[in-house]
Amino acid sequence: MLDLSRVQKELMDCNRDKDISGISVELRGDDLSRLFGTISGPIATPYEGGTFRIDIHLTDEYPFEPPKMQFMTKVWHPNISSQNGAICLDILKDQWSPALTIKTALLSLQALLSAPEPDDPQDAVVAQQYLRDYPTFVGTARYWTETFAKRASVGIEEKVQKLVEMGFPEDLVRKSLDKVGGDENMALEKLCSG
Amino acid sequence: MRDYVVEIIERTFNVAAYVATSIHDYPDVALASAVLFYWSRRASEDGLCMSAARACTLHDLIFRCAPGIVEIDPGRAVTDGARARIACQSLALELVEQSQVGICLSELDQLDLGLLETNRSMEEDDYMYSDDDEADCSDRDLDGIESEEDSLDWHPKPSSKVITKESLLLAQGEDLRRVMEFLKLKEQHARTLLIHHRWDVDKLFAVLVDKGKDQLFAEAGVTVLECKSYAASLFSPTVACNICMEDICANEVTVMDCSHCFCNNCWTEHFIVKINEGQSRRIRCMEHKCNAICDEAAIRNLVSARDPELAERFERFLLESYIDDNKMVKWCPSVPHCGNAIRVENDEYCEVECACGLQFCFRCSSEAHSPCSCLMWELWAKKCKDESETVNWMTVHTKPCPKCHKPVEKNGGCNLVSCICGQPFCWLCGGATGKNHTWTSISGHSCGRYKEDKEQSAERAKKDLYRYMHYHNRHKAHTDSFKLESRLKELIKDKISISESKNINYIDYTWVTNGLYRLFRSRRVLSYSYPFAYYMFGNDLFKDEMADEKKRELKKNLFEDQQERLESNVEKLSKSLEQQFDELTEEAVMAMRAEVINLSVHIDGICKKMYECIENDLLGSLEQAIHNISPYKSEGVERASELSVFTRDPSQCFLQLNSSLKGETMEPGRSSSGSPSFEKGCSSRKRGRREALLDLNMPARATFKSYDFNSQISHPR
Ligand SMILES: [Zn+2]
Ligand SMILES: [Zn+2]
Ligand SMILES: [Zn+2]
Ligand SMILES: [Zn+2]
Ligand SMILES: [Zn+2]
Ligand SMILES: [Zn+2]
Ligand SMILES: [Zn+2]
Repeated sequence: MLDLSRVQKELMDCNRDKDISGISVELRGDDLSRLFGTISGPIATPYEGGTFRIDIHLTDEYPFEPPKMQFMTKVWHPNISSQNGAICLDILKDQWSPALTIKTALLSLQALLSAPEPDDPQDAVVAQQYLRDYPTFVGTARYWTETFAKRASVGIEEKVQKLVEMGFPEDLVRKSLDKVGGDENMALEKLCSG
Repeated sequence: MRDYVVEIIERTFNVAAYVATSIHDYPDVALASAVLFYWSRRASEDGLCMSAARACTLHDLIFRCAPGIVEIDPGRAVTDGARARIACQSLALELVEQSQVGICLSELDQLDLGLLETNRSMEEDDYMYSDDDEADCSDRDLDGIESEEDSLDWHPKPSSKVITKESLLLAQGEDLRRVMEFLKLKEQHARTLLIHHRWDVDKLFAVLVDKGKDQLFAEAGVTVLECKSYAASLFSPTVACNICMEDICANEVTVMDCSHCFCNNCWTEHFIVKINEGQSRRIRCMEHKCNAICDEAAIRNLVSARDPELAERFERFLLESYIDDNKMVKWCPSVPHCGNAIRVENDEYCEVECACGLQFCFRCSSEAHSPCSCLMWELWAKKCKDESETVNWMTVHTKPCPKCHKPVEKNGGCNLVSCICGQPFCWLCGGATGKNHTWTSISGHSCGRYKEDKEQSAERAKKDLYRYMHYHNRHKAHTDSFKLESRLKELIKDKISISESKNINYIDYTWVTNGLYRLFRSRRVLSYSYPFAYYMFGNDLFKDEMADEKKRELKKNLFEDQQERLESNVEKLSKSLEQQFDELTEEAVMAMRAEVINLSVHIDGICKKMYECIENDLLGSLEQAIHNISPYKSEGVERASELSVFTRDPSQCFLQLNSSLKGETMEPGRSSSGSPSFEKGCSSRKRGRREALLDLNMPARATFKSYDFNSQISHPR
């Protein structure tokens, strides 16, 4: 059984200093097991200026099992799948300890953005580029940040427009976008599923 | 007593040193090794343990000695009489071997008891018959052989052991005790160390010597505290648990050896998750980056309070770690499972017989398949299955990958196929190729067969198939004969009792059963020599190694020659044993006896030669692939013996697990008059006549002639 009281404490603790840490966690629905986290791209990296959203799923055994995390925002990084956002990070796997928290995990992800580990890659293509052609890697990563990690904050009206054009009622579109934190695809998913 | 130990060991070593230093002067090696055997045997007979051994200055060439352990290079620790004996034996054998081939002792690398077999076979040559004088066999010779078979001065006890559900605790007891005693540890810590090192005590001690105690403990996650610190709980009534983030009453928290403290609820939850994940043997502390393994007593207590059934599973997991995490122990593969496991002592390349009667290859857990290597047998078994399921035998769908030998299916018309391992290869010739290809050529490859048309490839498939059928049919024929001959066992038993009741004069019929077992064993060898030959001289495994067609042909002919000789003699023996000897005259019986013994000895010799040829000339000459096979044993597949662990004093085992088992399974202290191995030797000799029929592994002969040692070295007693 999920330790609700601990998760609630974690949420409060995490959002207390979100302006300083650049990290926040929000409920995804009514259920404490589905959360989404946000981290800001570290300064002096190709991810600077981007806001990265992370899907967090807590199993019933949390905190005795690690939280399942996955990038929702597309990101070009050797340890993150460019296909689906899956993350390769030891503390989310066998190095997890119940003494760690969602916040520490998100902080580790932030640290991962500033210090990739191409020797233990999740995405072989990105890792190869990182090792063999670093300038191109930086270019691609920056482009992806511009394209995907900044769109969430700007042009919300554009997204509404687009979704409305697909034939969904505007109020529902706005609600859905709000719920998923502005992610176009997720909102679409939500709209389609009813 | 202690002085006596030292003296014994010193004498043993002195002999060793003598042989070692005088190798180039052709020393009397046989004498020296016999003396070695004698002293080491004495040491073990007297139940001596060498835990008091001291640093050895004399023999650093051979022994690396640390206080408390005598190590025999490389990294083989010797701490008790049994081990000392083994060490000395192998040393002696090594010396004998070395002196004959003239290699310097410092090049000693692998000590192997298996050498014993080699030496024996050399002695046995005296009794072997060449083809020419085969018919000529006087009665005196026969008696010589037969008494040789019975007079068992000394032979190695089976090195493999059966571990039953009941003796599982006992089996690990010795290893645990050694580590506990030597490092002055609690059982749980000893177990953690052993699990970390996969129950390889020698390796554990080697790490201790190389890296020191602290490193050894740290790597395995063992924390030994002088006294637990309860500082946190002493001064305040509540403790903040970092996991559930609550303040918990101080008597509901548990402090682990690493001094990390969390509430009991959180610990329990953590343990349950880990046990369910199947990680019972290495449950780490909950603190981030803390490598410490949790105290098994704490786990036991907390989990059993919540879920007693899971606590039991935890116990079982711990107990079975000795089998699951141990290279030298394997579950018996019987179906339905007999519940036993087998432990081998020296070499994983061997075949064993479990107490349930199943004989299997220890390495791959499939049926005993020597002289096939495990890979050959795996491929063969799969091939037989595939082929029999193929309705149309003409369509051979797969080819082995030149890199990993896995069968690869061809799909589509293109002759460039690629294996899941990533290796592309040419379908027609089976050779590795580059990746780029067009419809007419494959890059990095020119076999000239690429344009081969369909008819030709069908021709090839047919040829391959015929070749397979040739070997398959012979393999099967001998396997079938083996099954038929198994029935002879009962028949012969009856005949013997009839004969014995008819004759007032006692006639010994051991030779019949001995002959029968020789037949069984050689029939097996013969049967498995066919799949061996199929792969040895075929293209599936050794295409590149046996590239020289002429050489291959030559080797093949030599091997087939041996096979034929074995075949004809085995058939002769089979026929001879089918005689109705209970109806024959005494003279005719004696003639039959001569024939059976003669053939048995001859067949044993052929088998041995065949194995030598396989190990040295065929598999030994391969340059890339490494194929090891279980060595030939004249006595047949070794039957694992019941476990009897050398226990000096049962009360020294502080086993906490299943303490109820303790009373029943612990061996009583050994008598001072003789070692278990010799008692065993005696009993199997006594059993020889009466239960010969049941004993597939009757020793075929003994080797060491008795020698008056007392005239050489005086014994201090
Ligand atoms: Zn707690
Ligand atoms: Zn700890
Ligand atoms: Zn069995
Ligand atoms: Zn095998
Ligand atoms: Zn392959
Ligand atoms: Zn193709
Ligand atoms: Zn080819």
